[in-house]
Amino acid sequence: MGRQVAIVSAGFCEHSSKRSDVNMPELVNEAIRDCLKKVPSLGISDIDAFVTGNMPAFEGANMPELWSTDWMGARNKPLLRVTTGGTTGGTVAIAGYYNVTAGLPGIDTVLAIAYEQQSQGDTSVGLASTAYGEISILNTLGIDYDSLSRILSAGAAIGVAAYQATNYMSKARITEEDLARVVVHNRRMAAKNWWAHLRMPDLTIEEVLDTPYVQYPLRYGMLCPASDGACAMLFTTEEKAKDMCDIPVYVNGVASVANESAVLGYDGSGSAQTDPSAQIGAMRSSELAYSQAGISFPRKEIDYAEVYSPFPNQELMWLEKLGLFEETTAPQMYENGTTALDGDLPVNCSGGVNSTNAIGASAMERPAVAALQIMGKADNQVPKTVHTSIGHGWGGSLNLCTLMVMSDEPKRKWR
Amino acid sequence: MSKLTQRKSLDYIKKDYVRTRTMPGSWYLSSYKFRFNITHHQPMLEKLKEKKLIANQCSGCNRVFFPPRLVCGQCLVKPDRWVDIRDTARVATYAIAYLKNPDTGQVEEKPMILVQHDGADTCSIAELAPGINVKDTYIGMPIKAHWKENATGGLMDIEYYDPIPDDAKDIE
Repeated sequence: MGRQVAIVSAGFCEHSSKRSDVNMPELVNEAIRDCLKKVPSLGISDIDAFVTGNMPAFEGANMPELWSTDWMGARNKPLLRVTTGGTTGGTVAIAGYYNVTAGLPGIDTVLAIAYEQQSQGDTSVGLASTAYGEISILNTLGIDYDSLSRILSAGAAIGVAAYQATNYMSKARITEEDLARVVVHNRRMAAKNWWAHLRMPDLTIEEVLDTPYVQYPLRYGMLCPASDGACAMLFTTEEKAKDMCDIPVYVNGVASVANESAVLGYDGSGSAQTDPSAQIGAMRSSELAYSQAGISFPRKEIDYAEVYSPFPNQELMWLEKLGLFEETTAPQMYENGTTALDGDLPVNCSGGVNSTNAIGASAMERPAVAALQIMGKADNQVPKTVHTSIGHGWGGSLNLCTLMVMSDEPKRKWR
Repeated sequence: MSKLTQRKSLDYIKKDYVRTRTMPGSWYLSSYKFRFNITHHQPMLEKLKEKKLIANQCSGCNRVFFPPRLVCGQCLVKPDRWVDIRDTARVATYAIAYLKNPDTGQVEEKPMILVQHDGADTCSIAELAPGINVKDTYIGMPIKAHWKENATGGLMDIEYYDPIPDDAKDIE
């Protein structure tokens, strides 16, 4: 057993489609300053190690830690860069947890930073560069370039999610109206959050359904934006956390599980994941993280959930796969208000990825907001007391899941 | 502009930012050499010339892979048995893409499907017959491979998939 780890603070920068006033290191710096502002007793010299990460090739700058080290305050300190695609943020947070729990000499306080400035580069080129090696083999197997480009247009992030959406919709027997309801929930929540990107206080279901299809069943109004943004989280030991803040948030379980990639598979050999909405990886990650945290009844014990849902169908699916609702019942929960701000299980009160998506940072903003909800410092604070919350991340080709379970009590110790 | 592609964005609270110095730059990527071992595909490509489908099977978990696979992710062994599979299949999942026809400039609805061949445990990406109404597509729809006249030994020998009735003789 490693040391008990606590989160004492989390900070964000303002997210927008084009943060033209800052460059990448300045963007990171904004989030770090917001994070440290919440812990007045701590200076930058008290931080022992740094973990950072963003999507490679999205901004057109490889190894960005070279020029942002000074802006992070990480000069002459241990620095680690982790990048795992869509789950980068989740993995960076987990790496921050590992750094503290390992108990290395002299490393107690770790700052984890995840960021993305998508307006600087071209996201689709970045996505293509991750998939091109896998796709080019189809050329050698006799699929010519024209049909490959047709397949590719359905194989980008939206295309992959559209497969998942049709599968989920036929399984749960829901309509597009149910998907639009989730979007309205997220965007209205985002309006109360100062750092969110798509803040739409008066959005209605009709307005969402009035936008054209990008790919059936996903419409333009249902898609996540491309944002510039950064997020920072501060991890420290149990003893130090008590001096730093009133309500430290204890990290009780983490998991990062990869299932077989969907749709394309490896080397053009197809995928054994014939149902993209089955998500065995998510189920397995929740099993692992809940068992570490000693949670036997997730439906009763978890008070708040932040799930990674760029597309509305995913939000419904994750809530079921992470054991928070029964299979195919999540759409009803949005209808009857269970997931609202004052409901039994508030979900994505920050607006979620559907409103703010700075890809590298998104998966870290989920545990960050979930931790702030426990501390009572979140921007869209739920009225009830939150004891246990989860932050979830998703990435890869529908297959990689990270999960962090947080609580206001340290892990139960069995003797 | 076509009705299907016109952008109708939703209003949100926007902020204006002062512009910092911006330097345009471009990144010309070099050419890369991706390496693949496709020896496991060769028996299948040979059989495609005869308009027959074969798949390989893992001897550890008995899963059948079409297209063939070099390694089974569950058992970490090389699938070494070859089995025949049918050219009938099911739609495992689908999405409708809206693509511009390069000749006419019109936006066309095109269902993109993942097919799971009867007898195989994996699914692969494919296209439906061009004439089919997209609203008739559903998950679990029985389909049958439509072969090119002159098979050349490539995955494109199956041009597209034709829908067949539920009680067709082929899937008995």
